[in-house]
Amino acid sequence: MLWYKAWLETRWRFVFILGSILLVWLAPLWLPSTGVSSAMAASRMGRALQLESALLYLFAAIYLAGAGINTQTVYAATTGFHNSMLFTLSMPVSRRRLLMVRAGLGAIQTCFLVAIVAGYTLLHQPGGTSAFAVVEYIARAIVCTMAVYALSVLMACVLDEMWQFMGGCFVWVAFFVLQSRFAVLSSLSPLRGMSLICYPLTTPMPWAPVVASLAFGGVFLCASVLVLQRKQY
Amino acid sequence: MNEMIIAADGLSKSYDGKPALRNLNLEVPRGSICGFLGRNGAGKTTTLKLLLGMLRRDAGSIQMFGEPVDWEASSIAARRRVGFVSEDKDLYPFMNVDQTIRFTRAFFPGWRRDLEEKYLDLFRLPRKKAVPKLSKGMRTQLMLLLAMARGAELLIMDEPTSGLDPAMTEDVLQILADLAASDGTTVFFSSHQLAEVEQICDRVCIIDQGQAVIAGELDDLKADYRRVLLVFEGTPPRELASLPGIDHLSQRGRTASLLAHGDVDALVDRARELGPSSVEVRSVTLKELFLDHVRGE
Repeated sequence: MLWYKAWLETRWRFVFILGSILLVWLAPLWLPSTGVSSAMAASRMGRALQLESALLYLFAAIYLAGAGINTQTVYAATTGFHNSMLFTLSMPVSRRRLLMVRAGLGAIQTCFLVAIVAGYTLLHQPGGTSAFAVVEYIARAIVCTMAVYALSVLMACVLDEMWQFMGGCFVWVAFFVLQSRFAVLSSLSPLRGMSLICYPLTTPMPWAPVVASLAFGGVFLCASVLVLQRKQY
Repeated sequence: MNEMIIAADGLSKSYDGKPALRNLNLEVPRGSICGFLGRNGAGKTTTLKLLLGMLRRDAGSIQMFGEPVDWEASSIAARRRVGFVSEDKDLYPFMNVDQTIRFTRAFFPGWRRDLEEKYLDLFRLPRKKAVPKLSKGMRTQLMLLLAMARGAELLIMDEPTSGLDPAMTEDVLQILADLAASDGTTVFFSSHQLAEVEQICDRVCIIDQGQAVIAGELDDLKADYRRVLLVFEGTPPRELASLPGIDHLSQRGRTASLLAHGDVDALVDRARELGPSSVEVRSVTLKELFLDHVRGE
């Protein structure tokens, strides 16, 4: 039933992101009436999607990590957030299992969203793309997005639920600024691994961000378990 | 000797260096209904959270069901046998009543469907109503249902009747008394309502500033403690304060009021030597015991 609870906690967030993606995909169908040709509009949207895909993965990872992990707030009376954590902790379940089920479901949802966005975008590349390239890009996008997701889970364990999303956005904006100044950060950045902007399909696999994402993702997830196990309510 | 369902010894807990519990000792025998009393901030909720592993203690030990509750696995084993009602009665806002019941039921193999149906009828809880649309009283009722229907051996409740109307409060108290009498369920609950504690509890523990100031069988406490009223011709003498066995002394005008326990007859004999014009000894209520201990100088 923890899976069921996790699904109920995240379903509207998942639907919201999926709806946003569909909106971007379907928007070209409505644009011809504004005088722009359908093909041009589709091309523009495809380009926009390419540019924004990393942003979309970031948003999905931060947003889907946020609900239900640390549901306790001192602002419950005024914000609509809730303090159901005590009820959860009264169940005969370990905190590690609580975290793993919730984080696991969010990870599956995030992977699904990354896969469809990446697949759709690449399959609509002008000139077409090989199936292998699609799989390769989806795989690295998922790995790099999972690093962002794992950090978001860690922040969800540390921060009040209402601050987690804002905190996550702030961290990645700050990281984006810093990586433009420090080459090391840029070479390891998961944003580079997620991006389609620097992805002519002839370039080699960006192994550094992928390996760094795997390593940091694991560290963040372990840290999340430790934080939640030590947290007092 | 009764088996202790809860046994806490020397329990201490601080928040940012400020002590919430100081060397608290607590014993709750199997099958008893134990009221846990104290002022706001006395440490009641902290104690309940420590029992359930929501907080880590700084010092001391806890045993539940005869087993030490020291690490997560033993805490989980204890929680399988415990029903809990939290102070704020917060449940999942994304579930309705039926989903909440099904979710909780999944964790407890001994779930009592008969009690589930019985309390759904009694509390008139609509199965399809979303949790956020329930009034605070209905959320309290739902939490009580979830705690009681899981077939728990121990119910730990933080102000379980807050938010209930007087009629429903009466029903809930009756249910708790019935559960203790028929199923041998142990009930440990905090409350500010002294009347309801006096109504159903056979045992009380009064806590003040993180320490248990009085604990034991309610009948024994009432038998052991006496109020001694002494009226003097003038101001009551200072020697009163040095009489043995006095728990609390207050003076108003020519009257001195003593709360005493133990050998009250000997105390009265000593007090008579101070020359009061009248002496009255009477039994005490739980309210007097509580107020004298938490407001005592």
